[in-house]
Amino acid sequence: MKRRGRGIGCMWYPIGFTVDANPSAATVKVNEDGTATVLTGTVETGQGALTVLGQIAAEALGIATDDVHVVSGDTDVTPMDTGAIASRTTYVTGNAIYLAAEAAKAILFEAAAPMLGVKPSQLEAKDRRIQVKNFPQRAVTIGEVAFRSQVVLGQPAIGSATWNPPTVAMDPETGQGKPFATYVYATQIAEVDVDDETGEVEVLRICAAHDCGTAINPMLVEGQVEGGISMGVGMALQEEMLFDANGRIVNPSLTNYIMPTSLDMPEIHVDIVQGFDPTGPFGAKGVGEPTAVPTAAAILNAIHDAVGVRITALPATAEKVLAAIKAKKRAPKQIPT
Amino acid sequence: MDDKTEVLEREQLDIEILRDVNLRLPAVAPREAFPAVPLTVDARLQTRAVGQRATRPDCRMHGLGQTKYIDDIKLPGMLYARIKRAGISSARIKRIDTSAAEAMPGVMAVVIGKEIPVNSFGPTFQDQPVLAADRVFHAGDGVAAVAAVTEQIANEALERIVVEYEPLPAVFDPVEAMRDDAPKVHAPNSNIYATKVVRKGDVEKGFAESDHIFEGRFSTQMIEHVSLEPHAAIADWDATGRLTIYATIGRITLARADMARTLKLPMSRIRLIGTTVGGNFGGKNEISQEPALALLSKKTGRPVKGVFTRSEEFTSSTTRHPIIMDYKSGVTKEGRIVARQIRLVLDGGAYCSWSATTLGKACILSPGPYKIDNVLTEAFVVYTNKTMTGAMRGFGAPQVCFAYESHMDDIAKGLGKDQLEIRLLNAFDEGSSSPTGQVLHSVVVKETLNKAAARFGWESQS
Repeated sequence: MKRRGRGIGCMWYPIGFTVDANPSAATVKVNEDGTATVLTGTVETGQGALTVLGQIAAEALGIATDDVHVVSGDTDVTPMDTGAIASRTTYVTGNAIYLAAEAAKAILFEAAAPMLGVKPSQLEAKDRRIQVKNFPQRAVTIGEVAFRSQVVLGQPAIGSATWNPPTVAMDPETGQGKPFATYVYATQIAEVDVDDETGEVEVLRICAAHDCGTAINPMLVEGQVEGGISMGVGMALQEEMLFDANGRIVNPSLTNYIMPTSLDMPEIHVDIVQGFDPTGPFGAKGVGEPTAVPTAAAILNAIHDAVGVRITALPATAEKVLAAIKAKKRAPKQIPT
Repeated sequence: MDDKTEVLEREQLDIEILRDVNLRLPAVAPREAFPAVPLTVDARLQTRAVGQRATRPDCRMHGLGQTKYIDDIKLPGMLYARIKRAGISSARIKRIDTSAAEAMPGVMAVVIGKEIPVNSFGPTFQDQPVLAADRVFHAGDGVAAVAAVTEQIANEALERIVVEYEPLPAVFDPVEAMRDDAPKVHAPNSNIYATKVVRKGDVEKGFAESDHIFEGRFSTQMIEHVSLEPHAAIADWDATGRLTIYATIGRITLARADMARTLKLPMSRIRLIGTTVGGNFGGKNEISQEPALALLSKKTGRPVKGVFTRSEEFTSSTTRHPIIMDYKSGVTKEGRIVARQIRLVLDGGAYCSWSATTLGKACILSPGPYKIDNVLTEAFVVYTNKTMTGAMRGFGAPQVCFAYESHMDDIAKGLGKDQLEIRLLNAFDEGSSSPTGQVLHSVVVKETLNKAAARFGWESQS
């Protein structure tokens, strides 16, 4: 008989390296037509980082995502970056790009100020224009300013910057310190059916509520959560590298190392919890790794809720769950105290 | 011919191109072919940019199947490399004979560990050889690399490389490896290669003040990242002595430093191009075969490509740490956690790789997102003669989360409390102090609990 259960997985996860310096550098070049090119040493690893980084540069310059081209991943061309690791790209590389864009924008403001007859501090960049704060009708297009700055004044609008998250070294005896600049939080709740005659677990749905500070691109956050959950389902129920007595892997192929497919995926509901971190670019933190953290915990708690057995060694394969159910049935009934 | 006719003719031509199945679909289709008008404004064209559901600039290439991964790149004169794997977990290499392989027609070069200028790398400890030179530490270690005109010839050449091994004692279980009498993986060093402690308050005092004590042991398995694209790289050592590496790697700055170290080259003579990565998840955070490919390219004067097989992805790349986790918690009868003691043993595999980082994160995060005044976490990472464990999405956090959340439900059940309520009772608030004494900001853990519960339709059963 199928028995239904529900379980919670709640987590916290840091953004960036543990204490160690993990800087990013970036360059933002505003072209003569008001579009921009970003140079970053990070690499797109499929998560959509370059899109998010482009959005950060665009927001800082008051232009659209499509106006920004991001050049990445070439040590001859791009500045150093600690890389696509530790859920740090949006937060650390994003901050570097934000600061580089601000530096380029300052050059544009210097050029625009005499054009509009105000001080640079009275200007803002918005809707592809540089305009006087509170007087949006007094404006010039960012392209006009960039052209004038580069071709007439001889000051191309190029900004470079670096950023490294502030941390405090941990005491080696007690571990006390500030190992990370910031953390994100998340909860996933899973609903499962467990067949108590076969031990098979089916994950029906997962409700995932994730904090990432400001969601620079909510669609990409949702994509990360869905991908993270698929990894979590594999960790919870299926994936395991097995070794023989001589330390050789016996299942080094996808025929017998079983991963979840689309058929194993539950219904997923993603909620992005509104947050704002003043230390991140436009309040953003990160989301990459944390999405894979609470899934297995939620599923295993749901199995416990469904059939009353606690699987303490992952993965909870059907064989393991069935053996635990049988052991529980064999166990003498405890008289409630 | 006036402008109008020219425009018309070009448009007709475009449509013709679309009908010709032998031609590639144009990157931008002519408007006439797909007259549909989008119903929503393109998020990529919006100002403000932040908060927009902007599509990715690379999605069209992915959708059309035109993205170029390493396996799609073919340079003129390029050779194909394969690596001979040890297949034995712990041994001394007595002799390597590559002469039969080198004599094969189509085999252009062979490289062994002794030829690597500095045959060690690693982000924390440089304990990993590019190719095992005199000692094999796990079965997936490479012992020789071959470059040939085709992959098939390279594969055949591997069969003709003769390696004589003297088997050495091995250890596979991390708990066994911690014992003093266990075989040392990297003798004379201890198998326990990194430890971490987080101590806050006084756990013994906390346990004494608690109404109930709960204990549990949890363990997790070794997991592979299984990126769709395996580890792949092309090395091109050109006639000027400059080395270009195309690699599917997430950290090109570190990778260039590792290449400079292993090859004893100035960084200015190395160009590392990070190509589109077909899945990383932490598995492509460091170099693997690249120095061997570079030397094969140097020997032959031709570009050399190496692509791991799916099997090598399991045997010879990093994996997720199995962790044995012991939890002990003291709680009040209301369900408030007073003290928590944790011991973590991480199976570190044959090399450190990113184990020190994983150890740190697992140790710091292991008490969970809860306000606990008395915490003691001790964490150890241990060498075993198995494939190396390293960075993988979550760096130890998914393992400890499984443990602390299972433990939390056991506590809830033991006290007859609702699982959601006990978490809300203990969860961090803005300004809470973490186990390392850090004052936390922008804390929304309770908001995520309430949001997920509302979406799920969670009803209390206590």
